[in-house]
Parts: sequence; C-alpha cells; structure tokens
Amino acid sequence: MNIQEIAARCSRCGYCNVCPTYRIDGWESVSPRGKIQIALSFLNGDIKIDARTVKDIFKCSVCGLCEEVCPIDLPLIDFWEELRYLMSKNGYAPLSVHKKLKEITYRYFNPYSGDQDRRDEWANFEIKPSKTLYFAGCTASFKLQNLAKATANALNKLGIEFTIAGRNEYCCGSPFLRTGQKDIFEKLFEKNLKYWERAGIERIITSCPGCYRTISRDYPRFAEEKGLEFNIEVIHTVSILERMGRFEKIGKKIRGTYHDPCHLGRHMGMYEEPRKVIRKLGIELVEMERTKEYSLCCGAGGGLRSQFKEISFEIGKQRVLEAMDTGAEYLITCCPFCEYHLSKSAEKLGNKIKVVDLVEIAEKLISP
Amino acid sequence: MDSFKMELSRSVRRYDFHPIQRMLYSQDFIEISPFLKRFIKYPVCIVQPENDEEVLAVLEVSRRFKIPVVPRGAATSAYGGATTLKKCIVIDFSRMNSFEIKNGCVVAESGVVWLDLEKELKKAGYALRVYPTSAPASTVGGWIAQGGYGVGSLKYGDIGKNVEWIEVADFDGVKRVKGDELKYYVGLFGTTGLILRVCLRVREGGEPSNYGVKCSFKDSLDLIEGAYHASYVNRNLGKMLGCGDSDSLLLSFEDQKSELDFDVELGNILWSRRFYLLKAAKDTNIVFTEAVLPYETAPEFYQKVDKLAVEAIFAQDCVVMLGILPERGYYSTALKAVKFIKMAEKYGGRTYATGMLFPHKKILDKDAADYKKAVDPENLLNPGKAIQGNAISKLVRLAEMVP
Repeated sequence: MNIQEIAARCSRCGYCNVCPTYRIDGWESVSPRGKIQIALSFLNGDIKIDARTVKDIFKCSVCGLCEEVCPIDLPLIDFWEELRYLMSKNGYAPLSVHKKLKEITYRYFNPYSGDQDRRDEWANFEIKPSKTLYFAGCTASFKLQNLAKATANALNKLGIEFTIAGRNEYCCGSPFLRTGQKDIFEKLFEKNLKYWERAGIERIITSCPGCYRTISRDYPRFAEEKGLEFNIEVIHTVSILERMGRFEKIGKKIRGTYHDPCHLGRHMGMYEEPRKVIRKLGIELVEMERTKEYSLCCGAGGGLRSQFKEISFEIGKQRVLEAMDTGAEYLITCCPFCEYHLSKSAEKLGNKIKVVDLVEIAEKLISP
Repeated sequence: MDSFKMELSRSVRRYDFHPIQRMLYSQDFIEISPFLKRFIKYPVCIVQPENDEEVLAVLEVSRRFKIPVVPRGAATSAYGGATTLKKCIVIDFSRMNSFEIKNGCVVAESGVVWLDLEKELKKAGYALRVYPTSAPASTVGGWIAQGGYGVGSLKYGDIGKNVEWIEVADFDGVKRVKGDELKYYVGLFGTTGLILRVCLRVREGGEPSNYGVKCSFKDSLDLIEGAYHASYVNRNLGKMLGCGDSDSLLLSFEDQKSELDFDVELGNILWSRRFYLLKAAKDTNIVFTEAVLPYETAPEFYQKVDKLAVEAIFAQDCVVMLGILPERGYYSTALKAVKFIKMAEKYGGRTYATGMLFPHKKILDKDAADYKKAVDPENLLNPGKAIQGNAISKLVRLAEMVP
C-alpha cells in the first residue's frame, strides 16, 4: 500500500488516541487519526497546508504505539516516515531545528557537533582489525561515553573480538530518516557502507536501538533500492548479553523497572532479552503499567526532543513518574537516547529514581 | 465575526479557528460520500473547555451570536452525532477528563475515555457495570449522549439504567438531572443540554470468567441466563476477526463458574476481541449496520441475516444485532444497511440510535421535542440531530422507500 492507500483505509475509530503527543497537545490535528485525514486530504488535492499544520504533523516521536493499537493493522510507522519525506520533498519541511541538525551533520557527521577525529576518544584499548564492528553511535560516542566503554568492556569480557571505526564511523542517519530527510541519510548510508566494505565487516554490534533499527532494517532496504549488496549481520548488545552472558548476582536487593525503547521494542520486537538479562543479574524486575508493546515512549525520538522540547519533556516526565509508581530504585533501559532523555526528565522531578543503561550494570557483573 | 472571535477567545482558554482544524472537527466516524459532503458545514471554531465555567461562557457566546454548538466526545459514533451540519462552535470535551470514585459510584467528566476509567476503577477494586465496545476511544459523555448497550448490558441493561445522575449545561446554567428526567438527555445527542459529568453506578470485582460455546443462535438463548455479558459471533464474522469459523457464543460471568463445561480458551479469545470488531475491516472497507430486536423475534430475524457477518450483543430485554457489510460501492452498501434496519422493524425491532441519520424514527420519548423547545428555544444545541430532521436524514428516508 502506498501512503495514499493507507490513509484511505483509516476508519477513524480513534483507538490511536493513546498517542503520547496527542494526549498532551490535545488537538485533533496532532492525533494520528487527524494527521492521517490531513494527509489524505492533501494527497487528494483537497487542501493546502501551511507551516502550522506541518508542525502538527511533526509532533510525533514515531514511537509506533498507534500502529500497535490500530485494529486494522495499518503500517503507521512507515506511514509517518513517508509523510515526513513527502513534506520535505514538497518544501514544507524540514522544520528549523531538524534542518539545523542536518547542517551540523553534513559538517561533523554527527548531530552533536562532536569532533569527528575524537569520535573514539572513549576507547581505552588498542584497536585491532576484526570482521566484527562495534558501532557505538553518536550518543554513546559524544554524550554517554560510559556506555561505549561499558559495551567494549562487556564484549572483551565475553571474549568477542571486535574493532571500532573511529573517525570512519558516521551517524547511522536514523534521526534524518525519521524526520523525512532522506538526502543526508543516503549520504551517511553510503559513507558507512563504503567503509564497512573496505574493512571487510561481516557483523555489527550496536548499543543504540536507533542505530540497530536503522542498520538492520533500513540499510538493507536502501541497499536493495540502490542495487547494492548488504550482507552484514546486525546485533544489539543486549542480545549478546542474553545469549552469552553469565553473571554474578548483585549483592544487595535491588528493585528495577525496565523501559522498552521504541526502536528496540515496537520497531524491532525485542522485549524478552533485556528482561532475561535483568533477571539473570538478580535484580527484582517490576513492570510499569504500560509495558512491552504498549510501553510509553520516553518522548525523545522522531525529532520530537529537538524540535518540541516541552512536549518531549512532558512525555519523559510521565514515563519517569510511571517508573516511580512501581517503587523501583532504578529505571533501566538499553538505549542511550532514552537514558539521556529520561535522566534529564528525572532531574526535573528531583532525581527520585536513578536512570541507568542495562549494559552498564551487566558489564560489571559478567563472570570471568 | 471579529467581535465573535474576540468574545469566544475571552470565554475559553483553548480555542482554534484554523481552517484545517475546522475541517477535521466537521466529521466523525461516519463516512460521508463526496456528494453528501455538500450538506456538511465546517464549524467556525473549536473550543476545548476545561471546566464548567468555560462551557457556560461558550454557551453565552452561542446565544448572543446565534451560532449553534455541537458537542463532541471522541467522535466515534456511527450515527453522525458530532458531524457539523451548520456553521457552529464545536465543543470538544476531551480536556474535561477527571473522575472520582466514591460511595460505590464514580463521578466522571464528559471527556473521560471509557477504557481509561475501567483501568483506574480496577486499581480500586471496582469495575464498570456497562461500557461500550468502542471503550478504547469513546468517551463517557459521548456514549451517554448517544445511549445504547454494551459489555455488561445483559445483567445491567442499557447505559441509561446505570446512571445515577448527570450534570448538564444549557442556557440557564448547570443543572443536575436524575430519575425520570434522564430520558431527556440519554440518547438525545446533546440536543437538550451538554453533558458535563455523570455519576455512574459501578460493580465490585475484576475481570469476569469467560467461556466460549460453539452453538446456533437459537441455542445460545438458552445458555445466557445468569451471565453478566453475552455476545454471539457468527462464523462469517469469526473468519473476518480471525477467531475461528464456527458460530460462537461468549458467556462472561462476574464470578467463577467451575461447574460449566465450556471452552475457556475460546471464551478468553472472544473476550479479548470485544473491542476489536473493526478487525473485520483489515482486508476490506466495511459498513456497520445495527438494530435492536426483542428476544421473541430475534431468532427469526437472525435467520434472515445469518448469511452476513453478524454479531449479537444480548441485553436485559433485547438483542442488539450488528451487521458488517463489505463496502461494495457507497450507495449500494448504504442501501443494504438501511434494509437491515427495515427488516428488523418488520420483526418488531428498531434502529439502535438516531443521531444525524435517523431522527425521523420515533424511538425517543414523545415529549423530547417539547422538552427541547423549552430548554433551547432558539435551537442552538446540536440542531438537526436526534429529534430534528436534516438534509441527510431526508435522503435516508428516501432510501428507506427503496423496496
């Protein structure tokens, strides 16, 4: 189904009212149902859209909860991405901050203005060639370097030989694909792929679900479109920990709750592996009210945090409060972007719960 | 218009005059064909009141400028209750969504979503007696304004029977109505007053125990006694919903019935699908049609419609029959939907609700029109609905004449 056919199939049942952004903003033009009707009218040539409407279309973290609850299983994640691309193609987008991030990334190959020559600054080990690549991603490379270090330590402890690409690692392009900016995405895709081919990479390990989703699902699709080969296995760190990790139990009694990152959960269907690892560590796992397929987004994805900070933090705070309601001391996740955003949201609520990445805890407890 | 805009913007914090927002709020769940769209007028503005004072202030603007108001919940009714037929102010109640549980009742504001309410009640050890099968989206005020039957209606009757009182706003202010006077509000689509909050009777306990039985429709009538909820899915619908190709009865009890030798797995599947009739639309667009039948004639009627995909919801004193028609051309499918209701009428049945489509059906209290004139002399509360005809209902009447 193309985007117009998908929009025409929407029954307007309103079950997608669970959309975290709509629940905060409240206007129909921000609800998935409303946006689909706007898209349909636009594609049918019935309406002209303006800057405000385009902004409403982008008020979405592409978390995929709407797709999960849609009774007729419309592929809404793909729909939002295509719609955003259509907005860009027709000159209505990118929005100002998304555009700025693109400009930064054209210059620095990451959206944080990080010095590309210092991308591997976190690596405190000798880098050797290998067919297995640890792709740390921009957030772990520049913002949460402890995660990159912990992941590398975990891989070493598990006896997995790997290499890192250093200045040859470029943003995977996820933030741009999600915000309809295929032009820069394609450039980043080509640069990464070229290096991986040159380095003979056969397997990529990521600690970021955004990178994981993009490299495992979107890269093969784009490669096919461009007539390129893509025969690389892509694995998220948590799968490795679940399959290979033997852990010492945490000494004291700890209660933790797990936040499903949208890109790992709804986008990729990985719900059980992180929970198994948490249990193996001896952490008492308590679930939040909204969990697994119905998990509430952290509020950061899809360009929401960069362009609509207020809404993004409102969602983040809701999620932190939900975690606090469980009585857990730790809010565990395995996504650097979720961790970063939820930590900042928790800060706004007085830091009553500690936000941690699963890999960082697990790495310390891997049995020799 | 400028003074209207100024007045309105002073009356309520959340308002929107944007043309695309107005387009979105002109429609609800009902599909309107391109030809019929000429009868739809975009609202001039949408407001989202957050308290009673704002609702009253908007009503005052409506009265002063003689611009009607159309109340809106989640816009999930299949009867066009929230479709805008005139230039109007749409009052979207979704921001009035708080509730409080006390003394075996829950007082819920109009914009509370039924399923959200049910989840919160469960945390406190209670449950709704009756709720609609559109509970994931529909609102308390919206469903009560339409009236009807749903999950739990076998034991507890229609939603009106489970309302202790309603607070409504009209041009004279806010009033609390209960007892016999509720008949002027339940099922009237906000034409006599705007529902602000409702006191609902609730039940104690949690999830019911569910059982499935493969049986004929006629046999199901002998099995439903004592159940809290019962519904019947025929094989045609079962196939569309992905829950088997047999005629199946769901029996739900408020307590465990270990003595029953029925299929628990099938029961739980059917129960889990109670909100997902729309799954039938996964492969093809569909049109719903529904009618209320007395128990005496329901089996005969069922025989006539059995070749369609059909769900029956058993209520205290009637059966709601829902037909699912694959859309094969807008007008021919609409004619079939009308024919379904006409046939039900031959068997002593009636349309489920009125709204925009069936205001000519005399299913509401005969004094309702007089009551409306008294409380809304200038006809500003959702005009052309429930008890007043409109251009589209005239076409429906014409369709009813087609043999």
